Amino acid sequence: MAQRFLILEDGSIYPGHGFGAGATTTGEIVFNTSMLGYQEIVTNQIYHNQIIVFSQPIVGSIGIAHDAYESILPSAKGMVVRDVTDISKNRQRSLSLDQFLKQHNIPGISGIDTRHLIRQINQTGTIKGSIVDVADDHAFDQLHATVLTNQQVAQVATPRPYPNPNQGYNVVVIDFGLKHGILRQLSKRNCNVTVLPWDASAQDVINLDPDGVLLSTGPGSPLDLPESVLEMIRTIQERIPMFAIGLGHELFALANGSDVTKLKLSHHGANHPIRKIITNEIIYAMESQGYVVDPDSINRDRLITTYLDLIDGSIQGLRHRDYPAFSVQFFPDGAPGPNDSVDLFDEFIEIMGTRE
Amino acid sequence: MDTKEIQKILIIGGGPTEIGHETELDAACVQIIQAFKKQGIRSLLIDNNPFSAALEDVQPTNVFIQAVTADNVQRIIENEHPDAILPTVGGVAAISVIQELQENGVLTDNNVQTLGIPASAMMEINNPDRLNDVMRHVGMPVIASETIGTLDEAINVANEIGYPVIVKPIAPRIDTNRMLCENESDMINAVSRGLSWSRFKQCVIEQSIVGYKEIELVSMRDTMGTQVLIAGLENIDPIGIHSGDSMVVTPTLTLSNVEYESLRDTAFAINNQFRFTGVVHTHFALRADGESYYVTKVTPYNDRGTSLAACATGYPIAYVAANLYLNQKLTDVRLPEIYHFKQTAILEPSLDHVVVRIPLWPFEDIKNADKHLGTVMKSVGSTIGIGRSTEEAILKALRSSQFSPQDELPSMSNLTDSQIISQLIHPLSSRILVLLEALRRGYQVDELNELTKIDQFYFVKFKHILDIEKDIKTHPMSIEALRKGRYYGFGDGMIAKMWQTDIETVRQLGHDNHISPTYKGIEPSAGELSGTPTGYYSTFELKNESQQLSNKTVLVLGRGGNQLGPNASADYFTTEMLKQLRKSGYQTVIMNTNPNAGSLTATLTDKQIIDPVQLGDIMNVIAIERPVKIFVPGNRHYLTRELRRRNYSISILPPDQEKRSELLSDHANIGLDLFVAKGHIVPILASDLRSDQGIATTLNQITLMRNPATLTTQQLDAILKHAKAYLGAHKRTGMVQMLYTTNGNSKQMPQFAGVRPTRLTTIAYLNKVTGINWVRMLVRQALGEIDEKLIAKWDVDIHSERRSQVRGTFPFKQLQLPDQLGLTTQEVGAKISFETL
Repeated sequence: MAQRFLILEDGSIYPGHGFGAGATTTGEIVFNTSMLGYQEIVTNQIYHNQIIVFSQPIVGSIGIAHDAYESILPSAKGMVVRDVTDISKNRQRSLSLDQFLKQHNIPGISGIDTRHLIRQINQTGTIKGSIVDVADDHAFDQLHATVLTNQQVAQVATPRPYPNPNQGYNVVVIDFGLKHGILRQLSKRNCNVTVLPWDASAQDVINLDPDGVLLSTGPGSPLDLPESVLEMIRTIQERIPMFAIGLGHELFALANGSDVTKLKLSHHGANHPIRKIITNEIIYAMESQGYVVDPDSINRDRLITTYLDLIDGSIQGLRHRDYPAFSVQFFPDGAPGPNDSVDLFDEFIEIMGTRE
Repeated sequence: MDTKEIQKILIIGGGPTEIGHETELDAACVQIIQAFKKQGIRSLLIDNNPFSAALEDVQPTNVFIQAVTADNVQRIIENEHPDAILPTVGGVAAISVIQELQENGVLTDNNVQTLGIPASAMMEINNPDRLNDVMRHVGMPVIASETIGTLDEAINVANEIGYPVIVKPIAPRIDTNRMLCENESDMINAVSRGLSWSRFKQCVIEQSIVGYKEIELVSMRDTMGTQVLIAGLENIDPIGIHSGDSMVVTPTLTLSNVEYESLRDTAFAINNQFRFTGVVHTHFALRADGESYYVTKVTPYNDRGTSLAACATGYPIAYVAANLYLNQKLTDVRLPEIYHFKQTAILEPSLDHVVVRIPLWPFEDIKNADKHLGTVMKSVGSTIGIGRSTEEAILKALRSSQFSPQDELPSMSNLTDSQIISQLIHPLSSRILVLLEALRRGYQVDELNELTKIDQFYFVKFKHILDIEKDIKTHPMSIEALRKGRYYGFGDGMIAKMWQTDIETVRQLGHDNHISPTYKGIEPSAGELSGTPTGYYSTFELKNESQQLSNKTVLVLGRGGNQLGPNASADYFTTEMLKQLRKSGYQTVIMNTNPNAGSLTATLTDKQIIDPVQLGDIMNVIAIERPVKIFVPGNRHYLTRELRRRNYSISILPPDQEKRSELLSDHANIGLDLFVAKGHIVPILASDLRSDQGIATTLNQITLMRNPATLTTQQLDAILKHAKAYLGAHKRTGMVQMLYTTNGNSKQMPQFAGVRPTRLTTIAYLNKVTGINWVRMLVRQALGEIDEKLIAKWDVDIHSERRSQVRGTFPFKQLQLPDQLGLTTQEVGAKISFETL
């Protein structure tokens, strides 16, 4: 493996070995403390424009599996790891993580002191970086000059509607950069799903006569999406049961008058205890967020806080006081991460049921 | 039950160390006593293990040095009226005792609550049949199995299920696992043994799952039902090799997210079903394709799995569990400051390092044992390696698991090809070296995976290790080869050997080229949350996190993994040393690799370094800490010689270990132990020396000491006089044992047979008998703190008529050897008694 470098905006240089695609790449550096599920993580569209640092010491050890994609066309900008292992376990024994990343033009760099890097990002906050062949002035100039798009949802969400037919409840999923785990959970519950593009109007949704609407996960800032999305949410929540996850949750909060702020440091991991306020139960779930709902901004006449992270105090769930609409910041579908909160999908089904 | 009612808790200790459990139970016990103390709870402790550090932490009036039997425990309950009883640091024996006391009503009659395991679950622990019922209840597939009580039933059931089958005794008295039987005669043999081990004279016969992947999860649960997953342990060896004899890695490296989370869900469901509190260790068998899995064992108490999880994550399992037993919620448990940050108890540990555990077997010391690994555990200890890569962790564990003090791995090149194949299929204790040798000879990853059922991932890693080894060998004195070698865990000693040079040359090359170790913290947030951990391991990366503690630091070299002989007591010795060093005002750093060691308990020292206790690694630690003194419990001749050569100040304890014994005879039946300080010779105890089966004809058969010695007052006075005169004339310090022989004639004066350093095992016994901690005195002597005033305080009655004995225990039964005369080098543990002789 050829020597390559991870360089950061603050001038730091981490030498390592390239794997995956050989391209030069630039993105926001984020780290994920999950101990497994590298495939699910790198294929999650929330990492659009981002270079992911894995604290798990080894990636690649189980190859690439057909049932572990969170999107077909991943849009992460790179993987930074301590160690990568070249193993294929699929039927043809032909698809290792390295080959997969090559196919999708995603560069990786291994041999990095990821622990130090993570501790450094902890100090600096979110920072931009590049994976390059030569860590010279030119590379740094390029890094500083690169402006990352804020049209992230438009780039990863489906441009056209598509169905996932089944016999159960009729569910519309609004795709802001949907992770497949959500579709899997709906599919398990026999939902007849139609996925609509992120800019679908309330009328587009209503025309499909759904029993419920799910606002999906996705990349980037909710503040970069047009007001029309919030209007759609406000219209729909009054009429149709709604479940929102990740970016969807942030949009749901905005639509109901709350503020969403950018975290100094985005958080990706599955090991924080989360309190379910109504029962006092503690659950664990994959949290992956660069933004957070500002607790002081919540209009308590409209929204109730339902889940709270006990380590950083962040709001992890909301429910509407008047409408059958609720949201969670974390990923209840796991993939990767614990299944502790997968029953939220059952709750969604139940709410759709009571509406009849 | 209201916790306010719990003020006094009877803790059942682990008893003598043996195959199946070593120091981990006692180490957990120490933490639990600490936590109880903080909550104002009075702990009572029953144990007859002379090497128990926990016994030192309990008020003497609350200590019961007795064997852990139902009768003894019942007597304590009736006399002391504890509010609760804790079986979770006593291994299987404690569970068995509680089961008995629950059955005969002693616990209810005396209103004693069992902590950790509810009464309703108690009878189902270690009962595979009941476990299966629970599995069905939580919707899990179960292995085809049936309970039998006679041989005839067993034959019928086995024919139904089809061979191979597994035989498991129900509620066994000893820590046993599954016995694999390929055919009827195997099974008849196993069933007859199993029936005799079972408290109910019953066994379970079940479908074989040999070759499945073995995964263990360690989780915590509070009485509210909140659960935290601490760690997943992956056995590199498949089912068929006892997990205690298997190489184990954490975190799991070859599981998918779906597989791992299903196991987590199942473990939690079982914990809820049984309503366990505290720590639970769940074993799973996972089919190679990941399509199905079974639960094979649930242990809701401390064991080697929980201690490995604690060591790997820095999560203080036993300490947290103690709080949970008292009905505290996981969210409310607040840990002592040293545990990184205040919410550690409720954070699921996330690791950014790899830990590999390699077992140690007793075959060097017990030559006639069958060295094959199977479903019955044979190892007596283990050692871990921690690294940032799998290769590094494997190599470090492997280096620590070897007997060579020079940090070299033995060669397997003299094995024939047919021996290799045979050992691949029927592994011996040299398993990992044979796997490496097979790869060296060109075996392919896929065929090795087929033969051994070890995941291909590990062969890829082994192969990489060999590639690096080749690279180092073919590039002597290459900077790049050294950089790469160290990065992946090769020791300086290994590299020196490959380059046919000395370790100094290798280290100089590293120094000149800035190839320096970087220590990384062992903490449960993978770098996400800030804090200063106390546990570290080394690697070779960009950033070092471990800074010099102080200018008054001592470094203590731990003994590494337990083996037979004095090592059983060495951890106790090390622990007591560390306590005294701290008390004497030093900052303490311990290096050790034994995940079960009490001496690695985070509250005991200021810094713990889990790295091979090898010359190169020690020098790396010295370079940072600049200790004023290095303490070596027991002796490590090569290491101390090499360190002294480099002008480091070394204290070997007990100090006289360095001096050779002076023996006139190889036979003695009377021992007189003394403490020798400058100008003072203090007799401590005169004892009868015996072998396990009567008279010892050689010194290495002396594994039993009994008091008072069968000496007349005149005889005792005579040897006291002789000993003082002898020691006055010979320069010795510390603790010595004078040896004498008597011939049964009480008129005749005992004959002087020689003098030797007091054994570590004996010192532990002397502590218990005299109530004076001699280990601490040895430390104080080394620090120059022994003076007239202190000696005057020692209240030792050499004429005491108090009856006591200590007796070595041996692993012959577990190794399926006929009862034989045990030697000192074959002791696996010891038991002490004050009443029944």
